[in-house]
Amino acid sequence: MAVFRLGQSWDPLRDLEREVDRFLQRVNLTFHGVRPGRKYPAVNVHESASEYILTAELPATAPEELELTIANGVLTMTGNRRDEVEIPEERFRRQERPRGTWQRSLPLPERIQEDQLSADFHNGVLVVRLPKAPQEEPRQIPITSD
Amino acid sequence: MSTDQPDRSQHLVMAHQTDDSTASSTERYVFTPPIDIFETDDGLMLRADLPGVSLESLELQIQDNRLTLFGRVETVLPEDAVPLHREFEVGDFLRSFILSDEVDYDRITARLSRGVLEVELPRAEQPEPRRIQVNAD
Repeated sequence: MAVFRLGQSWDPLRDLEREVDRFLQRVNLTFHGVRPGRKYPAVNVHESASEYILTAELPATAPEELELTIANGVLTMTGNRRDEVEIPEERFRRQERPRGTWQRSLPLPERIQEDQLSADFHNGVLVVRLPKAPQEEPRQIPITSD
Repeated sequence: MSTDQPDRSQHLVMAHQTDDSTASSTERYVFTPPIDIFETDDGLMLRADLPGVSLESLELQIQDNRLTLFGRVETVLPEDAVPLHREFEVGDFLRSFILSDEVDYDRITARLSRGVLEVELPRAEQPEPRRIQVNAD
């Protein structure tokens, strides 16, 4: 699918178009250029040896307006993107930044220590750390014989 | 004030590291951050979403009539972390704006809070009409 076209294309540009097309298809378009106002913030999940790490970009969110709850293995995040001083619509010359309330629920991987979950919110980036539960020791089952 | 149109072809730049031991190059994403521009009583205000940018990693520069913001984003992940689920790429933020004459360049102020940069662009004072004395010989 062609996702990038120059208005009047001529041969030397066709290669460039193909290159750009290939590049744009390889990455998710949603996250390119001006990131459009998505209602739901994007979330990344990484795994390290000892923990799962969830990251989300949440600019313009006050810590007191961000809520994390965990129940039945599902992490639910609720937040509000709102500037400290609201501006009347007619004053805007350009408006690209997303705003408003959102909620996202993510199923958690099994075997995490839910009570050890920690969250850090700094410079508009949320980092939730979910420590893995230790491997259970193999348990010997005593066998009795008559 | 006008904004430069984002040029998609420049979003992936190659940052060449010229290290003595390893002459490697790392790919870094450069994103155009979303902005708002609105009128205030005193002029214009610009807000840009720059999640992950700290005061130390933000550069705000005016050259001639061009205001450029560049925010570097450092990863918060440990080195051994592998992606399980990815919805966004982490990258730096770059955008520049052409300022009009109505902005008083010397009084531009900026602050960064909660991943949002706010740049205040005060309107230049219109000089008072000045009466010119005409002398006769």
